[in-house]
Amino acid sequence: MSAISTRPKRPRFDVNGWLFVGPALALIAIFMVFPILHSLWMSFQSGLGMRLSFAGLKNIYRLFNDPLFLMALTNTFIFFLVQVPVMLTLALITAALLNNPDIKFRGVLRTAIFLPCVTSLVAYTVLFKSMFVANGLVNTVLINLGIVNVGIPWMTDPFWCRVMIIIAITWRWTGYNMIFYLAAMQNIDRSVYEAARIDGVPTWARFVSLTVPMLKPVILFTTVTSTIGTLQLFDEVSTITGGGSAGGAAGPGNSALTLSLYIYNLTFKFAPNLGYAATVSYVIVLLVAILSFLQFYAARERKA
Amino acid sequence: MISYGFKQRIASVVVYIFLAVMAFLSIFPFLWMVIGATNTTSDIVKGKMTFGEAVVANATTFFTQVNAPLIFWNSAKITIIATVLTLLISSLAGYGFEIFSSRFREKLYTLMLLSLMIPFAALMIPLFMLMGKFGLINTHIAVVLPTVASAFIIFYFRQSTKAFPHELRDAARVDGLKEWQIFFLIYMPVMRSTYAAAFIIVFMTAWNSYLWPLIVLQSNETKTITLVISSLGSAYYPDYGVVMIGTVLATIPTLFVFFAMQRQFVEGMLGSVK
Amino acid sequence: MNRKTVALAFAGASLIAITAAQAAEVTVWCWDPNFNVAIMKQAGEIYAKTHPDFKLNVVDFAKADLEQKLQTGLASGVADGMPDIVLIEDYGAQKYLQSFPDAFTPLSDKVDYSGFADYKVKLATLDGKVYSMPFDSGVAGLFYRKDMITAAGYTPADMQDLTWDKYVEIGKAVEAKTGKKMMGFDPNDGGLVRVLMQSAGGWYFDKDGKLSVEGNVALKGALDVIQKIQVNNIFRPAAGWADWVGSFTSGEVATVVTGVWITGTVKSQADQAGKWGVAPLPKLSVEGATHFSNLGGSSWYVLSGSKAKDESIDFLNEIYAKNIDFYQKILVDRGAVGSLLAARNGEAYKSNDAFFGGEPIWQNFSDWLAKVPSVNYGTFTNEVDSVVSAHQPDLAKGASVDDVIKAIDDQAKTLVQ
Repeated sequence: MSAISTRPKRPRFDVNGWLFVGPALALIAIFMVFPILHSLWMSFQSGLGMRLSFAGLKNIYRLFNDPLFLMALTNTFIFFLVQVPVMLTLALITAALLNNPDIKFRGVLRTAIFLPCVTSLVAYTVLFKSMFVANGLVNTVLINLGIVNVGIPWMTDPFWCRVMIIIAITWRWTGYNMIFYLAAMQNIDRSVYEAARIDGVPTWARFVSLTVPMLKPVILFTTVTSTIGTLQLFDEVSTITGGGSAGGAAGPGNSALTLSLYIYNLTFKFAPNLGYAATVSYVIVLLVAILSFLQFYAARERKA
Repeated sequence: MISYGFKQRIASVVVYIFLAVMAFLSIFPFLWMVIGATNTTSDIVKGKMTFGEAVVANATTFFTQVNAPLIFWNSAKITIIATVLTLLISSLAGYGFEIFSSRFREKLYTLMLLSLMIPFAALMIPLFMLMGKFGLINTHIAVVLPTVASAFIIFYFRQSTKAFPHELRDAARVDGLKEWQIFFLIYMPVMRSTYAAAFIIVFMTAWNSYLWPLIVLQSNETKTITLVISSLGSAYYPDYGVVMIGTVLATIPTLFVFFAMQRQFVEGMLGSVK
Repeated sequence: MNRKTVALAFAGASLIAITAAQAAEVTVWCWDPNFNVAIMKQAGEIYAKTHPDFKLNVVDFAKADLEQKLQTGLASGVADGMPDIVLIEDYGAQKYLQSFPDAFTPLSDKVDYSGFADYKVKLATLDGKVYSMPFDSGVAGLFYRKDMITAAGYTPADMQDLTWDKYVEIGKAVEAKTGKKMMGFDPNDGGLVRVLMQSAGGWYFDKDGKLSVEGNVALKGALDVIQKIQVNNIFRPAAGWADWVGSFTSGEVATVVTGVWITGTVKSQADQAGKWGVAPLPKLSVEGATHFSNLGGSSWYVLSGSKAKDESIDFLNEIYAKNIDFYQKILVDRGAVGSLLAARNGEAYKSNDAFFGGEPIWQNFSDWLAKVPSVNYGTFTNEVDSVVSAHQPDLAKGASVDDVIKAIDDQAKTLVQ
């Protein structure tokens, strides 16, 4: 993973290194690793609430025969494959444009684009729901612009419901990812740009051949964290499509049921089955681990 | 030459239109929230898009239902302590992972990244049991502790440190600076745009954090603003006007921090290096 | 390091530790600041008049939040910070009682349950012991706009003894004459199925709590109606709770089929005064069908780990099981209909409501309350409900009810274990 990191010649046991990472590692061991092992242990148990008993691999067997789990897995993948590339591309382009010192109102624009991720989830949910209802603002605008003849069934059709969720997540997190790119762009030496500009390299080519390679570590960072975020997608699907009462489907035909939402339901909404919920969460861990490995691997390959 | 200049102008018009559309789409919900704070619930539900007259009534209800000074103080306390500790401990580790070497470095790092991957819902119950054992249920320290060593921020700092010029470090060593001095006197100032971005993110995450405070805080006296807004918004027939006032107030601190910190992006780091 | 040292170290090292609340105070968790939270505070004030030492601490959370906290607390076995009394929605009663045995205190020795609506008592009974203090009822009714019904050529008298087929017929007439839809309906929500099913004495489970989907007459009847409503397009689609509420507060629909707790919201639109009436539910065309059902509702439970168990039980018993005046007060102030049948003899319950054209709606609801069929909500209502809700759109597309029931059965079987 670190083919390019600096490896100074140092003694085997580096006191300073351990002092620097020590506090963090100790806290992570107590507050992350311990609970993780605990939940791993739970994933081999089955039963409701406190009435757990050892079940061996029964939960894994159940996974493969559980239509709702398979549905959640499919939905999660759809969200991941479509949403992450769209959002990161948008964030990168926006950051590059806003990094240009000639652009006026940069501060205002930056703040505006960052706003969505600080807006509270409650307000955001109420708003998105009211904008996307059958006779809401979005359909009215689309009809008036002549883009569609009949309102799009955002809340009642599985396909459009997924589109709506993707719009919502992209809206909320593009500005957030933009921040990381903007911060990283400060590390790029302006003189390199100037040289390229004087040599007549067009803007687009400068972006692709200079900016993107230099941002690679941060692009990798945002890709991995967005992958994690999307595979753990919960807020949007639970609040925007959540039914008003006890049960309720996650979107039309459960089209917005994600793995995290399913885990949440198994733990808190349904009769609590903590063992099975833990098993489903290890499916996410496995998927993220594989995808992150591929992303690190891809990033390293191109470096060489 | 004329056509080049013309092309440039077209390009910059496209750029402005793109940015303006992005900005408008981003700001619209916030604007709607501000408008909502001045309207009655039935107007909000009807989708009224103009300012109304209910702002005083909404604010009055909010401040009578909510012990605002205490709640905001709770949020501020948790957020500030969490932000300072997280930035310190996690940037130390991010820097350490990149700079120092050990046989176990990459193994530990991978293990740490794995901890990011498990959904929090699965960890909540074990973590709650742990806090119960420590006797920390319903304390603010229990809210802060699990977030301080953030694998996410460590990851961010390590990735950003890759751009930290190691000539600076070597020069400092030659000058006889100790490792901790290099970190505090050279690394921190040079990386300030990274710190600024991390500050914004950590502050925002701590201020808006919801799931874990919800589980671990049990009384009205310890609740944070996020929890209060959530409970206001969940009545059988919620008073959205009051919810909107609450959300607008709750958004202001993060916006303020963003305004204050974003200057670091403009100034950049290169000036200080040279 | 033992836990004391750790705790002390943390407390000493920081200013942000909060000292635990003093004991001998009754803490309650509930969820709606304008409803059960306010009502519980009123109850506390009344009780404190005769018990000056009594201190009540009501903590409110969002409903989903409360359930999350309660399940985390119970599942982790950490007693710290748990309340003495907690409000639980009736659908979840058996889930909690069965998943966390011994976590709740049976109240049957202390409380006389004969005065409460029968179905409210049965739903909180496990192994012959009753665990709840029944609170608000979700007895259901058909709220309808007299002006729209009249415009469609029907009279309020026609609404009193409807079948669902007749209801659909009226719905078509209403749309033809007024352009309004008959009801607001959220296809992702299973509430209406539950109302319909219970009105015919059925549920997703049989009397023993076993899954009962295929061959369930009441469920089939309910899904038939759901299909007719959708296929005949007599509904205004609603996305979520607020949108659904908006469908009738903004005057877009002619009827609302739901629990009595909606009354306050209906009345919040002063400009619609006099236009509304309330009738019994339409009847399903299946065996055992009645005009009476329920949606939602909740009850109070005392936790076994409570340090103030006796005070908590006595408090609930004195106010919620005996105080008729209290029930008048919460009806007037909060629109809450309790489950204590004797409450109907009070002044407030006897008053006629001008908003509903002077109908004795509270007496009517009390009549219906006593007749709601008792069903076994079982442990897995939310599970099956989420599956049923997910299949409602299929019914709109014309899938046969039998096929849908088969599909629901398949999915529900994996969830219910």
